[in-house]
Amino acid sequence: MDSLPAIEVRDLVKRFGAARAVDGLSLAVRRGESLGFLGPNGAGKTTTIRILSTLVAPTSGSVSVLGLDPVRQSAALRGRIGVVPQEIALYDGLTARENLEFFGRMHGLERARLREAVDRALDEAELAERAQDRVQAYSGGMKRRLNLVAALLHDPELVFLDEPTVGIDPQSRNHVFELVDRLRAAGTTLVYTTHQLGEVERLCDRIVILDRGRTIAAGTFDELRRGIARASGARGKLEVGARATEALAALRAAGIEARLDEDLPDLEQVFLTLTGHALRDEDL
Amino acid sequence: MLRTAWTVAAKDLRLFLRDQVALLMSFALPIVLATVFGAAMSSMMDDEPASRVEVHFEDLDQSPQSKALLFELQSCAALRIELRNDVRARVENGAAPAAILVPAGFGADVAAGRKPRIVLYRDPAKEIEQQILAGNLVPVLMRAAGPAVAKEMTKRGMEAMGFPAGMRDMAESMFDSRAVPAQAGESSKNPFDFDEGGAEALGLSVEDVAGGPNPSRKAAGGSHAIAGIAVMMLLFGLSACGGTILEEEVSGTLQRVRLTPNAGASVLLGKMIFTVAVGLAQLVVLFAYGGLVFEVPILHDPIALVVHSVAVACAAAGFGLCLAVLCRTRKQLEGLSTLLILTMSALGGSWFPLAIVPEWFRTVGHFTLNAWAMDGYQGLFWYGKDLGGIAVDVAVLFAIAAATSGLAWVGWRRRFERIA
Repeated sequence: MDSLPAIEVRDLVKRFGAARAVDGLSLAVRRGESLGFLGPNGAGKTTTIRILSTLVAPTSGSVSVLGLDPVRQSAALRGRIGVVPQEIALYDGLTARENLEFFGRMHGLERARLREAVDRALDEAELAERAQDRVQAYSGGMKRRLNLVAALLHDPELVFLDEPTVGIDPQSRNHVFELVDRLRAAGTTLVYTTHQLGEVERLCDRIVILDRGRTIAAGTFDELRRGIARASGARGKLEVGARATEALAALRAAGIEARLDEDLPDLEQVFLTLTGHALRDEDL
Repeated sequence: MLRTAWTVAAKDLRLFLRDQVALLMSFALPIVLATVFGAAMSSMMDDEPASRVEVHFEDLDQSPQSKALLFELQSCAALRIELRNDVRARVENGAAPAAILVPAGFGADVAAGRKPRIVLYRDPAKEIEQQILAGNLVPVLMRAAGPAVAKEMTKRGMEAMGFPAGMRDMAESMFDSRAVPAQAGESSKNPFDFDEGGAEALGLSVEDVAGGPNPSRKAAGGSHAIAGIAVMMLLFGLSACGGTILEEEVSGTLQRVRLTPNAGASVLLGKMIFTVAVGLAQLVVLFAYGGLVFEVPILHDPIALVVHSVAVACAAAGFGLCLAVLCRTRKQLEGLSTLLILTMSALGGSWFPLAIVPEWFRTVGHFTLNAWAMDGYQGLFWYGKDLGGIAVDVAVLFAIAAATSGLAWVGWRRRFERIA
C-alpha cells in the first residue's frame, strides 16, 4: 500500500463553463515527498489542490490521493489529509485553544487524544503561553502559525500548504519552515504552493511548474535549472578556493570570458543574522 | 474646488447606483412599507365592506322584533353580522371582537313598550372595533325599541352620562320630530363608550369576556406589543445568525470545516440548533420583561408557551438559514432580510393587530410566519387558550420551519456540499 504514490493524477481536466482551469494535467507525488507546486496566477494550482482535497470534482481524468478517490471516498480521505489555507481560517472570537479544540473535534478527536493533540499543536506553534487569548489579539505571525498547526491536529499523512507564509515577518516564516521541516522528517507528504521561489528551493524535494492548466516542467530544483541551462547555453561554475582573483586573471588572460561572483548571503540571511531567529509576537 | 466636489459626488453616485442593497433600502423598502401601511390605514378610515367589524349574533328570541333588530344591524355598512351559536365563547377565544345575544323575551318587551334587554360580549383588546360597534349599535337599538322607548332610553342615558338639561331637552325634541339618526355608517365616526352609563339606559348588558377574569388595558396592549416585537426581532436576530454561514465562507473557516470527515448535514444542523437556541433565549428574555412590566400572563400555560415558542423559533431559524444560503454576500443578506422582515412584520400583525385591517389584508398576512406566531401568542396571553387551542398555529409554524429548513438544506447542498 505504502509503495503506491501519495498522489497520482492522469489527464486531469476541469472546466468552468467554457474555461479550462486544468487542461490535461498529469503528476505523481511519492509518499514522504515534499512537492513544490508552482505557477503564475491562473495557472490551475488552486483548482488542482481543490480537486485533490475533495472540494471540487474533476471534469475528466483520473485522480487518486492516498489510494482513494477524492469524489467517491471524500469522507475517508478528509480524515487523512490536512489543508493549510492561504487565508487565516480561524475564529477570531475564540481563543487559540478553543479553535484547536473545535477543529480537533470536527476531526473526531475526543478527550485525552484531543487534549494531547491541542497541547502539542500549541507547543509547535509556540503559543502555549497565549493559548487562552482570543485570536483577534494575535499578531499576523501568531495567526499564521496557529493556522498551520490547526491543519495538523489529526496527524494527516498528506498536507497541502497554500502560501503558508504570506504577510508574516522573517522570524515567523522561519518558524513555519522549521515546522515544515519537522513534517518532512516525520515522513509526511507535502504539497507546497507559494510565489516565494526561495521557499520551494529550501523546503521541497521536487518541483512541478504549471501554466495554463498543464505541467510545463517537473523535477528537482537541480534538474530544472540544469535543463534551463542546457536549453539556453548557460555558463558553468568553477570553484577555485581562496585564489579566486588570480584564477580570474589567468582565465581572462587565456581569452576565456569569466566573472567572479562572491558567495554572499541573501537578504533574508542578512536580516535573520542581524535580528536573530527568536519569534517576535508583540504588536507595538 | 467645485470640480473636485463634483468628482467626489460623481464617484459616490456611481458606487451608490452599483450597490443593489443601498438601492433596495433607499427605494424599494419605503415603497413596500408605504403600501402596507397605506392599505391598513385606509381600511380604518373608510366604510368599505372589506373593513367592516365582524359581530356575531345569536337570537334566542326568534321574534319579529329580534329579526327586525338583526335586519337593522345587517344594514349597517360598518358591521358584518355573522349568525352563530354560543357567541360568548366565540368572543372569549378571539373568533370575533364582539357578539350580540338576544335573550328570550326581547320581542315581548318591545311589544309591551318595556325597555328590551340584549347582551353585548366584547373583547376589550380590540378597542377600535368596540368604538365602531358602539357608534352603530346605539341608533339601531333605539330604532328597534320604537320611538317611545328610544326617547326614554335616550333621556336616561343622557342623565346617566351627566349631560346638561338643555341638551337632554334638545335630544327629546329630536325624537318628537322623529329625527332618529338613520345612517349607521355616519354614526360610526362618533364613538359611544358604553362604560359611561349608556349601556344600562339602552338595556344593554355589556360583558368583557376575553383577557381573563380581570382584563387590563396594560395587559391587552402588552400582549400584542411584546409578542409583535418578539417575533420581529427574532427574525432579525436569526437572520443575523444565519449570516454566520456567509461570514465563515468569507473567512475560510467554512471550507476548513467542510474538509473534516463528518461535515455535511451536521454543519447545517449545528447552525440550526444554534439559531433556534438564540431565538428561544431572545423570546424568554422578552416575555419575562413583558410579564414583569406589562402584566402579560406568560405563565398561563407554560407548556403551550414553550411548544409555541419552539415552533416560532424553528420557523424563524429556518427562514434565517434559508435566506443566508440563498444570498451570496452578507451585505445582500442584510438588505434582503431587512426588506422581507419589515414587510412580513407589517403584513403579519407584528406592528398593529390584524383585527383592524380588512379581511384580504388578514389573508395576505397569514402568508407570513408572523401572523401565525402572533395568533398563537395572542391566543395564549389574551384568550387563555391551551395547547389544543393554538394547535393549528403551532402546526403551521412547524410546517413553515420544515419548508424553510428544507429549502435551506437544498441551497446548502447545491452551494457547499455538492462537489461540482
